[in-house]
Amino acid sequence: MIETQQMGESHRTAPRHSVAPSRRRRLRRLAAKSLPYLAIAPALITFVVLLGYPVYLVVLTSLEHFGLRELANGGETWVGLANYQRILADNEFITVVIRTFLFMIANVALTVVGGFFVALLLERLRRSVRLALSISMILAWATPAVTGAVIFQWLFDSKLGVINWAIGSLGIFGSWLNHSWFDTGFSAFSVITLLIIWQSIPFVAFSVYAGLLAIPRELIEAARMDGASEWQILRMITIPLVRPLLMLLTFLSIIWDFKVFTQVYTMVQGGPDGETVTLSIFAYIEKTQSRYDLASAVSVIMVVMLLVVLVPYIRHMIKTQEEA
Amino acid sequence: MSRRARSILLNSTGLVVAFLFAFPVYWMAITAFKTAGDIQTYTPVFIPTPTLDNVAKAISQPHFSDFLRNSVVVTLTTLALSLVVGFLAAATVARARFRGRSGFLLLVAIAQMAPFEALLIPFYLFLRHTPIYGQLPSLVVVYFIFTLPFTIWSLRGFIAGIPVDLEEAAMVDGASRAGAFIRVTLPLLGPGLVATSIFAFITAWNEYFYAFVFMTDAQNYTLPVWLASFRTNFGTDWGATMAASTLFTLPVLIFFLIVQNKMVGGLTAGAVKG
Repeated sequence: MIETQQMGESHRTAPRHSVAPSRRRRLRRLAAKSLPYLAIAPALITFVVLLGYPVYLVVLTSLEHFGLRELANGGETWVGLANYQRILADNEFITVVIRTFLFMIANVALTVVGGFFVALLLERLRRSVRLALSISMILAWATPAVTGAVIFQWLFDSKLGVINWAIGSLGIFGSWLNHSWFDTGFSAFSVITLLIIWQSIPFVAFSVYAGLLAIPRELIEAARMDGASEWQILRMITIPLVRPLLMLLTFLSIIWDFKVFTQVYTMVQGGPDGETVTLSIFAYIEKTQSRYDLASAVSVIMVVMLLVVLVPYIRHMIKTQEEA
Repeated sequence: MSRRARSILLNSTGLVVAFLFAFPVYWMAITAFKTAGDIQTYTPVFIPTPTLDNVAKAISQPHFSDFLRNSVVVTLTTLALSLVVGFLAAATVARARFRGRSGFLLLVAIAQMAPFEALLIPFYLFLRHTPIYGQLPSLVVVYFIFTLPFTIWSLRGFIAGIPVDLEEAAMVDGASRAGAFIRVTLPLLGPGLVATSIFAFITAWNEYFYAFVFMTDAQNYTLPVWLASFRTNFGTDWGATMAASTLFTLPVLIFFLIVQNKMVGGLTAGAVKG
């Protein structure tokens, strides 16, 4: 569009046959050169301004005293690292960090290992069963986090929940009627973990399954001819070949599970007794108490922790980009 | 173990796993159509006599149509913005060679990893001075920033997958570069656009955290916020809650069933090669 506009102008101002060709060529070259920048400009502005400014703001706020009064009137004062010192000296914060990491590790490990086994299973199933399993997993995968939380509350309801009924009717554990799953932090976390892996295994399983299909058949046939057992094939061929994919899926899961908020908040709001408060909930609570400075510091700490964990993933991203 | 026994064992394991994945969704849907009597019983009813009472109750909630409209508006606006801006950037990165290209790609990769849950506070501090705070456009802005990196990344992959030779052939036949791109590559990009758009669609449609914190006025709630508050307000009316959940999940489910094949590739493209 720019190109035609400029050409139009040159057409008007200069006699066409003499000066125009060279100028037109120059303009055309200039337009061709600037076109890529014009096309990426909206995205670039979005990242630098709309994303960059909040990132700058969170760092700045974490270094200030910023409460309700500052929110209303401005006049925030610089306090250096005081907010960080205060948070890191808080025993509750340390507990929350440890809890968040344990919760994340449990979720990621169960998701990746579970997804890997489901993928192996998918590969070995009869067509009809594989289709049934795929559709079931799509149902779980497509369920929005809020819906999932509501469904699991209903499944694990103490009185009318189908889970308590099922455990009770096994007849081994006695009656589970009125057993409350959300009374202790561990029990509540277990239900939330079940919810999270129920929703995240499908993506991992489908991805690994796609990876398994890419392994050349001949490789496995040859190993089998040489007398390798199924277990040896799995260990020596399958796992090494899908390892890069498993790594990537692990890192993606870490990103997703480290900051999980919706499931924990909508199900138990950090209760009972703060026993399910994770870092996201901790930051949210600081915000509801109008301690924007402390909340910002917690956010910065979260990002830094995530970055440290994700350095290998970032390097992988850059490497594949260079190859492309 | 004989081959046959092994096959039976594997396939029955497959069916059990399928049952475990499907059951919660089945239980949601079936509860939505149960009578109050079938719900309020200690012995669960697995195949009930269906009723539409719960669905009617969910839909007739005050402001349900407002929330639905809010969700649809926010989702579609996010989708449109993200696709237009993302497409421009993706096509450029995939097809043009220019200084700063790899720097831009690095920026996209970093933006894709930005933990948005941790950026709630700065987004709040940033947006509260603007007239859109507490209004739906503030959600659109945030969701647009959420979804743009993935949109660029994914579309870039799809465009790069279409051989540039096709365009060059069209150019030999007299088409301009832009014309060749529009007439040759764009039509082939349909599946890629659909697969990419579902991500933006789901992000905007499902998002709860920002909607919950930013929308101070109940009029501006989106469906996830409404659904989460539903249970608190309704206590133990599981029938209506599950009907609301089913209604909310249905559009996502339909989209998923259509394009799930293409979604797996998008996020992990290039990973199998290592």
